[in-house]
Amino acid sequence: MNLRAIGCNVGSAPVELREKLAFDADKLTRALAELTARYGAEAVVLGTCNRVELYLARPETVAPVHAPLVAEYLSELHGVPVADVQPHLYEHADADAVRHAFRVAAGLDSVVVGEDQIAGQVKDAFEAAQRAGATGPLLNALFPAAARASKRVRTETGLAQGQVSVASAAVGFLKEVFHRFTDKTVLVIGAGEMGRLTLTHIRELRPAAVVVTNRSPEKAAALAAEFGGAALPWEQLDDGLAGADIVVSTTGAEDYVVPRRRFDEKVRPRRGRRKLVVFDLAVPRDFDPRIDDGDQVSVFNVDDLNRVRDQQLAERRRHVAPAEALVAEEVAAFLTDWNRRRDGPVIGALTEEVNRIRDAVLGPLLGKLNGKLTDADKALIEAAFRLYGNKLVHGPIAALQEASREGHGPGLREALMRLFGLQ
Amino acid sequence: MTVPPLQGITHACFGLSYLLAFALEVARLFWPGRAWRAAGLAVGVAGVAAHTAYLALNPPTPAAPYGSLLLLAWVLALFYLYGTVHYAKQAWGVFVLPVVIGLVGLSLALTATGDAVAPDWLHGDRFWGAVHGFLLLGGAIGISVGFLASVMYLVQLRRVRNRVNPAVVVPMLNLERLETMARRAVNWAFPLLTAGLLVGTLLLRTEHGGPETWLSVKVLTTATLWLVFAVLLYLRYATNVPARRLALLHVAAFGLLLLALAASHPFVPGGDR
Repeated sequence: MNLRAIGCNVGSAPVELREKLAFDADKLTRALAELTARYGAEAVVLGTCNRVELYLARPETVAPVHAPLVAEYLSELHGVPVADVQPHLYEHADADAVRHAFRVAAGLDSVVVGEDQIAGQVKDAFEAAQRAGATGPLLNALFPAAARASKRVRTETGLAQGQVSVASAAVGFLKEVFHRFTDKTVLVIGAGEMGRLTLTHIRELRPAAVVVTNRSPEKAAALAAEFGGAALPWEQLDDGLAGADIVVSTTGAEDYVVPRRRFDEKVRPRRGRRKLVVFDLAVPRDFDPRIDDGDQVSVFNVDDLNRVRDQQLAERRRHVAPAEALVAEEVAAFLTDWNRRRDGPVIGALTEEVNRIRDAVLGPLLGKLNGKLTDADKALIEAAFRLYGNKLVHGPIAALQEASREGHGPGLREALMRLFGLQ
Repeated sequence: MTVPPLQGITHACFGLSYLLAFALEVARLFWPGRAWRAAGLAVGVAGVAAHTAYLALNPPTPAAPYGSLLLLAWVLALFYLYGTVHYAKQAWGVFVLPVVIGLVGLSLALTATGDAVAPDWLHGDRFWGAVHGFLLLGGAIGISVGFLASVMYLVQLRRVRNRVNPAVVVPMLNLERLETMARRAVNWAFPLLTAGLLVGTLLLRTEHGGPETWLSVKVLTTATLWLVFAVLLYLRYATNVPARRLALLHVAAFGLLLLALAASHPFVPGGDR
């Protein structure tokens, strides 16, 4: 195996550098073409907001691509001084690179351990490389195996369970209250970043309508346009609350935007028995907490959601050790399988060569002794030659398998081919 | 003389099966795993099979407390199986099985008399009595399903109120779904209950109209149950009473139902204990 995983991530490089090394579609196409042409390597480029990694596989007979060479290439491609890039790059070799790929795909190397986006990003990176014709035998085997390991980790351990962001915790609570979202209206009060992030998650539930209100009508209109919703004048907030099922509030107001009295007098009587879930993500809070009646109206504040997120992160950390063990198991299985595939042709050729020599010696011998031997004698001699041939190849095959397990397979394969004159 | 295998089925067979299935469901809450669920489901299926065979071989009359409770338990056991298969990840059995076990236990306590086994329900003058009984049984099924939905609603509501992380507890149906289930159960139960009561009233007037029968526990509790349901319908559709209060009222209605089912029938043969 001649595999390298070279790159930087959130732990090794600052965001400023990662931003500069980001791959857009054009750069990705160019990089895949150049890496294969320039280095004769199979290549997969994985670029996310948290990491930029190149997986490069070359034939075993040539030298591997090392981090300094990759630093030079990245510097040339992105126009960043090589001295800025090289100190932040890490390099994983062969079995270690396999393990790294599996850990990345399983979310074990992520900032939020177990996050599920990375599995899709790894899959996309591999498919892009395949489309560009940049993959070969090793990477075509490696990435599907990494996907399998990732799936096992997610289904057989609790690493990917639960919500690990404030926004996804909000969605988790929504699913405890509502069954269907296609008939629900989401009201966003304020146009802050937190509201936008939460709305991004809620929109995946496909609500019937998104309404945005803000003291600044322009900001409300902009956010509404971004999410395919409608802007509501700030003065009509009570109407919005009366018609909403889900509220996300993130204003920067100093006092309650919706005091209890206002809600009880102007909103509650118009809502009937419809449930309302409010995510008050503002600090100071926008909603008087006494509006929460423990039944029809639930008001979640940012502490409620943070608590769930923290609890979930702690829960996930409990599953890291079993997930690592599972990854180790998958890596071992992959390496065994890969070595078997690499050794297979050599072992086949060696066995064939020994059989050929045996037949070349045995055929004339039996011809010379023709008429002097009974059928039982012939069978005995043939069996003895077979046993001799098997014993002869057993030692080299066992040594090759052991060397492959220890990572020295290529040298011994080459030696065997030369010694026995194999093609 | 040898007893045929199915003739040997008793309350204990399916009652204990349900109890064991319940224990396995509870175990699943503490040690989540497919094995618990599979084992619980297998034992539950065995219980329902035994229960079905028992009812087929010893058909009880719904007019008797023993019979109505046993029939209701059987329908709810089927409801348990449906829910356990359909909502595989949820703690369905934890809610339904205690009710099934309670009904089987109660029916055992109100042991059948010889007359309680009535194979000729739909013949002769018993026809309208049987119609009355089955209408009320249908209503009782609706009330029981509504009760279960209400109990689950109250538990789920408590979780939401306490901001319990959904990822660390056994999943349950959401509040909206449970409210819909309870509402449909009331909509189903009320017409059946009304029709059953009307048939019963006509039977009382034409055949057994003495004042002592009108004032019997059975008649009074069933009439009160109907009234409670009428109030429940009114509150649900004509007011904005919170869903939690409706759920509590539904739980109370189920208590009344048990009382009505357990009370001796004033005039039907086999209704007396």
